[in-house]
Amino acid sequence: MMPILSILIFLPLIFALVIAVLPQHYTTYFKWITLGVTGVELVLCSYLYFSFDKTALSYQFQEQLDWITLPLGALGVGSIDYLLGIDGISLPMVLLAGIVMFVGAISSFEIKDKQRGYFGLYLLLTGSVIGCFVALDMFLFYLFFEFMLLPMYFLIGIWGGPRKEYASIKFFIYTLVGSLFILLVMIGLYLSVIDPVETAVQMGLIMDKSQVTPELITQIQQLLAEGKILPEQLVHTFDLRFMADAANFVGDSWLHKAAEVAMGDFSIRAIAFLLLIAGFAIKLPAIPVHTWLPDAHVEAPTPVSVVLAGILLKIGGYGFLRIAYPIFPEQATHYASLIACIGAVSIVYGAYNALAMKDLKKMIAYSSVSHMGFVMLGVASITSQGVNGAVYQMFSHGILSAMLFLLVGVLYSRTHDRQIDSYQGLASKMPVYTGFVALTFFASLGLPAFSGFIGEFFTLAGAFNTPLLPKWITVLGAFGIVLGAGYFLWTLQRMFFGNFWSKYELSLLPDLNVREKIMLFPLAILAIAFGIFPQLLLDVTNETVSQFLTLFV
Amino acid sequence: MNAIIALSLSGIASLFLGFSTNRKNLLITTLLFVLVALGLNLADWNHEYFWFNNMLKTDNLSINFSSVILLSTALVVAISRSFGDDEEHTHPAEYYAIMLFAAAGALMMVTYENMIMLFVGLEILSVSMYILTGSDKRNLRSNEAALKYFLMGAFATGILLFGVALVYGATGSFNIHGIGEVVSRTKKGMELFEGGVILYAGIILIFIGLLFKVSAAPFHFWTPDVYEGAPTIFTTFMSTVVKTAGVAAMYRLLSISFPAVYGLWGNPLVWITCLTLIVGNITAVYQQSFKRMLAYSSISHAGYLLITILAKTPNTNGSILFYSLAYSIATISAFAVLMIVSENKPKDGKPDESFEALNGLSVNNPFLAFVLTVSMLSLAGIPLTAGFFGKFFIFTDAFSNVSPLFKNILVVAILMSAVGVYYYFKPIIAVYMKKGEIAEIQLPLIYKITLIITTALTIILGIAPDLVKNMF
Amino acid sequence: MNFWYFLTALTLLSALMVVFAKNPIHSVLYLVFTFFCISGHYVLLNAQFLMAVNIIVYAGAIMVLFLFVIMMLDLRKNVPESKSNLTKLAGAVLGGTLLVVFIAATRHMNLGNGSGAIGAQTGMVESLGMILYKDYLLPFELVSVLFFVAMVGAVMLGKREAGERNF
Repeated sequence: MMPILSILIFLPLIFALVIAVLPQHYTTYFKWITLGVTGVELVLCSYLYFSFDKTALSYQFQEQLDWITLPLGALGVGSIDYLLGIDGISLPMVLLAGIVMFVGAISSFEIKDKQRGYFGLYLLLTGSVIGCFVALDMFLFYLFFEFMLLPMYFLIGIWGGPRKEYASIKFFIYTLVGSLFILLVMIGLYLSVIDPVETAVQMGLIMDKSQVTPELITQIQQLLAEGKILPEQLVHTFDLRFMADAANFVGDSWLHKAAEVAMGDFSIRAIAFLLLIAGFAIKLPAIPVHTWLPDAHVEAPTPVSVVLAGILLKIGGYGFLRIAYPIFPEQATHYASLIACIGAVSIVYGAYNALAMKDLKKMIAYSSVSHMGFVMLGVASITSQGVNGAVYQMFSHGILSAMLFLLVGVLYSRTHDRQIDSYQGLASKMPVYTGFVALTFFASLGLPAFSGFIGEFFTLAGAFNTPLLPKWITVLGAFGIVLGAGYFLWTLQRMFFGNFWSKYELSLLPDLNVREKIMLFPLAILAIAFGIFPQLLLDVTNETVSQFLTLFV
Repeated sequence: MNAIIALSLSGIASLFLGFSTNRKNLLITTLLFVLVALGLNLADWNHEYFWFNNMLKTDNLSINFSSVILLSTALVVAISRSFGDDEEHTHPAEYYAIMLFAAAGALMMVTYENMIMLFVGLEILSVSMYILTGSDKRNLRSNEAALKYFLMGAFATGILLFGVALVYGATGSFNIHGIGEVVSRTKKGMELFEGGVILYAGIILIFIGLLFKVSAAPFHFWTPDVYEGAPTIFTTFMSTVVKTAGVAAMYRLLSISFPAVYGLWGNPLVWITCLTLIVGNITAVYQQSFKRMLAYSSISHAGYLLITILAKTPNTNGSILFYSLAYSIATISAFAVLMIVSENKPKDGKPDESFEALNGLSVNNPFLAFVLTVSMLSLAGIPLTAGFFGKFFIFTDAFSNVSPLFKNILVVAILMSAVGVYYYFKPIIAVYMKKGEIAEIQLPLIYKITLIITTALTIILGIAPDLVKNMF
Repeated sequence: MNFWYFLTALTLLSALMVVFAKNPIHSVLYLVFTFFCISGHYVLLNAQFLMAVNIIVYAGAIMVLFLFVIMMLDLRKNVPESKSNLTKLAGAVLGGTLLVVFIAATRHMNLGNGSGAIGAQTGMVESLGMILYKDYLLPFELVSVLFFVAMVGAVMLGKREAGERNF
């Protein structure tokens, strides 16, 4: 079988290298190479979507290779694997990454200087983003998670606006602090969790990993619980599949459920969970660690904004579902209202800020904060609707925010001015553009028949139905939709309706060109399609989510 | 052992080579000498030898450390071409000879079995460094640095020697294993022993002397001035070879002789480690000079190395080794780029060592910019560089030690890693994002090769760290 | 024993005078005297050879060199104190604390009456030579590297280079 996930990761990386070494006079081809590579990625992602077995419970398209093996002396052996696989939660994200990176590549045609660096970094970013979504080994996930900061940092820092240095280093340090939290927990987990299969091999019960049976794993876990395995024979692992099973925790380790190590009033597991939540919340971003996002968006060039809002923010939400929640289910239930509260506050606070912004791009950045709040709310509910809705919301927001930033980019590329006050009545002069803007705004504010509606509806429904959350939190979140309608419609009215007036000459404001239409049209189709046929995505996520929820009984 | 002899002899030989006026030959011969020593060093692999009445002991750990030291020395020698390339320094043979002797001293510090050897090695290394620091004779900063280093270093050595004497008085032995036995017997109360207090005082004094050499806070005050004042090539030598040797010597002593009295040196070391991390990182943020920033960064890396000495796990050997190697190669890259760029663009007749000197380097010198970026990322601990795994191993060690004190250290270390990113990105920002005029710099072949080696090694160790880590 | 106390007191006193003396020449002379006192201790420890070496090398050769240097540089002018009172206070507190710790550490110490018998020949040239050239051969040889480095360094730093102005 073709190692399709590895191809998804390494194809862009290889071509990034190709771009780096091609001679100078090939510069004009760089954008076409990038477009071609991301196009192939999109095709592969769609292939994944169509050949995905929606009823299977386990991870699909798995690939596993031994990567790093470290003898830990008296602590046993540590193993880091190159382990890839997707399930119903990661598939939508991979598909989203394929779509957004492709659209971003089209949008990148407007980049004119230092093309070699730009397109090389763009492909590097593509590879590491997809790697993040398909990694099943926590170490591998972490590597991609942190490594993607680098291309992003340079993309904002070199091709950004006037305050690019400040914005890029702020982005980098915020996210790095988050990932250091994750690193801490990761090391703790690594020392606590064993790989029963490898341990069986190490103990000499079986000769080869292929001989493993479910009974054997149960037997090993039994032995582990009784403390009968010698410490030297334990094989520590970063494998997320094993981390999610409480039976694989070493009895006297820090993060075992029965561990009594504590700092103050918090048990060590609670601290680990909260650190993970903090790390991913920075990426998401949630209040109060969201402040890097508006700065980064305002300074980033359009395609980078598209990628940032379209995919990078989703890694925060994905991290909740893939790492924090399955490994610490009892903490997740315990802190549900805290997380939901942060989510609801993010919704309302982000919306209020968006209402106040004079800069169109900043407004959209705050609307992202608001929309990602729904993801936190939905995840916190731990219900089938809530979690499905959260995944749906991530996918939908990925497409819609990409459109929103592309649309801002259209205006910015014409006049280099994004102030809402500088324009009025654009509808009469740029009708197609206005049509797209109106469609995207309506989709974003959660109008039925658009994808945004499904995500928000399901998350709120989940949050209402769960016994874990007080009702006022959900009501607060729902209020955010009203505010969302407020800022989107108000902006639409101020900028696009009424008599035409602008600080700039009309000749500067032609309607959309063909390239821009090509970028926006498919996204608009997707936004409508996923609004009318939610089962396109819910079918994929449903089985995985119901299995995910079995961890929380 | 054979490497020490070879280095001592080749030092004398290279002095004689000073009669020939061809600098290039001198450089290549010196490089060859170091590589021969490296070969001799590796020849003892997998054999444990005691040399000359238990004066030295070579085992795989000491061979590994010696290899790191010799590799660093070779790389530093390779980039030394431009130093003293003027009428003022007509006899570069002395510099090379002293560097070879210093490397011999460093090897003694990582293979010693007898405290006297530690002292002799330390003195050879220190005296060499005093001289090399002051070797830019007309530069007032260099003179000041040398005097400062000499005075403070002499005191530190004196304190160390006093400590050795007290420990000898208490245990009746200079042999580190012998001392270890007496100490653990005392600790277990198997033997009535009234000299305990003297022993403890001695341990603390030795400890202070060694902490001075690795520039841990609060014994770090000499570091920035000396690093900044010394000619860059010798700063490179100091921050790699001297640091590695100091840490290895300290680890050897603490892990062999004094594990039984962990509480005595462990508790102060916790605070010293935290202080070192905080002082090194926070102060580095405020530096305007790239060279001075690297000096503070070397202080902070001493802090990370101390964490794993403290953690005392079975993996500490490998972690220290890996971290020293990762740190050394990244530091050599960084200093090499600094040296090339600053000498290319003098300001007031002196090399410009501020961050501004790097502005716009990437435009005409993408290779140098890339090398600098990789080294900075490695020092900051970003994944897919050797530095990341260095930090990863150290944090893992700290985690496997369940003592509650380690929670404090981990918190400090994590926060300080984040601070580190801020200042390690300053040169990257200058190189890629600031505007500046730097013409294309022609690199001699040997520089290119060195920089390719350090950069490639940094990346390879960042992808397959078990290459080195599993050696022990 | 009483002689030991007397000698020790004398050593400490003259060592203190080295630091406190205003005139550098006096300092050096006190230092010479300190070395003599230490040599006295060597005699008490049955280390006659070390005593001789100490007097000849330190008190004789090195101190004479010191005197020459001081006379040539004419250091009699009083250099104004540059340290602030705060620094002095901090130094005094830290040094005093260390002193107190050491006194406390040694107060309860009872090292016994020495371990084993010490022969009359212990400190003589022959036994010293046996130890130096048998047991401690390696450090003895390697110390020569140290001296060599120091020598090379002294020549290198002191040598007048082409184009160098000397004041």
